[in-house]
Amino acid sequence: MADRTFVIVGASLTGATAAATLRGSGFDGRLIMLGDEPHAPYERPGLSKAYLRGEEPAEELFVRPPGWWDEQGIEIRLEATVERVDPREMTVTFRAGGSLPFDSALVATGVRNRVLDVPGADLDGVLQLRRIPDADAIRDRARGASRAVVVGMGFIGAEVAASLRQLGLEVTIVEIFETALFRVLGARIGKVLELIHRDHGVEILFEDNVERLEGAGRVERVITQRGRSIECDLVVVGIGTEPNVDVMAGEGLDELGGIRVDATLRTAFPNVFAAGDVATHDHPVFGTVRVEHFDNAIKMGEHVAGAMLGSDDPFDDPHWFWSDQYDSEIQMGGVRLTDDMVLRGSLEERRFCAFFLDPAGVLRACVSIDWPRDVRRSLPLIRRAVAPDRAALIDPAVDLRTLDPARA
Amino acid sequence: MAEFITVAATGDVEEGAAKAFEVKGAEVAVARSGATLYAFSDICTHRHCNLSMGGEIDGTTIQCECHGSMFSMETGEVIEGPATEPIKTYGVREQDGQIQVEA
Repeated sequence: MADRTFVIVGASLTGATAAATLRGSGFDGRLIMLGDEPHAPYERPGLSKAYLRGEEPAEELFVRPPGWWDEQGIEIRLEATVERVDPREMTVTFRAGGSLPFDSALVATGVRNRVLDVPGADLDGVLQLRRIPDADAIRDRARGASRAVVVGMGFIGAEVAASLRQLGLEVTIVEIFETALFRVLGARIGKVLELIHRDHGVEILFEDNVERLEGAGRVERVITQRGRSIECDLVVVGIGTEPNVDVMAGEGLDELGGIRVDATLRTAFPNVFAAGDVATHDHPVFGTVRVEHFDNAIKMGEHVAGAMLGSDDPFDDPHWFWSDQYDSEIQMGGVRLTDDMVLRGSLEERRFCAFFLDPAGVLRACVSIDWPRDVRRSLPLIRRAVAPDRAALIDPAVDLRTLDPARA
Repeated sequence: MAEFITVAATGDVEEGAAKAFEVKGAEVAVARSGATLYAFSDICTHRHCNLSMGGEIDGTTIQCECHGSMFSMETGEVIEGPATEPIKTYGVREQDGQIQVEA
């Protein structure tokens, strides 16, 4: 394979993991990773948590130490924005001009933040969070500030709100749904998250939205559709994402907003692959899904490296993520909650693992707060579509590993 | 020079569990799995969580509760990311009802 060139579009966690895995698997061809940021690949979870609060230096975020990429013969081109991945010509073209031929390409371009489209959204002090400079800007603006408004109570909004509270700011969240993290965790668990935030002194306005932002050059207040006026020194917007599919626009690959790949993570073009947040994939258990999680970025990066080397194995990871807010740790396995919830632990005590079964009794997902072990132990059950005994799920004394027929 | 340092009595580390001890200034976890004792750095190389606090032991591996990094307790190597650096491992033995770590 020494004469082959693999190009990875996106110096992301997915791209970096794929590159490292390719080298680790003995790929000895040319390996080029293209990123539009000025930084070598880094992990983003800390950007809303320890790094945002100034408790962790930037070096801690990097996927590999500086110099590692060179040692491995992996070429990284930073601040290189890709305009197009042409699957027929098998070239990558750059926005700044020039192109690069490939034998195999991986699109790992991730997602970008949805933009708040209201009057005043361009005022100074209206911020969002995706990249290192975004976190730096929020931290800088929070220093000396006393009031912040967070728009959106998804994971980024909730984590940023928690960090800003921990930095001593007064925080108000404006959320369009009826409770926190409604779309991912549903109303019952969202309510628990809501109470955790309220206990930490966060004001939350549910079923409301931003009407406009006001200020003389820099943001001074948020006016909501229900007529609330909230004075503030900064606004952080976390209202969802859009996959970065532009590099393959017009190729007929769009689905669920992302780039369509099969179960092996290959697009309809045999030498072009997609992985990570951008990849809408065929999952053996969940069907067609697209997820935006840290762990998935790693797992898909590892898997797609194998696919680029010719493996036809399906990607069947059950998906898992965590979120730290104050001193509570939330974890979830699986991708979609079902209506049938079986609880181990207590919602009131905010310490539980909730299991979600489908009508056939098959475990499809689980969510925990400060009960992470049973999410981990559930993952093999979710992957194998096991229908566990309900009483066993409820009983904390039952080791979930014993419910896995593959281990029994 | 490396020597064996007594950290606990045999009964202090139960099957399937890991316990942390300070050995010459280092945080060392001692785990028992399949009747074998293992000793390794208690600090996950990813984000410095303590492996002994909630780490899941399965055969010869331990998985960090924080973000899922899995290490071999025998060799310290990374079995599953996000960690990329191995953990240090130590010699360990049981003698006269005592657990001793080589450091």
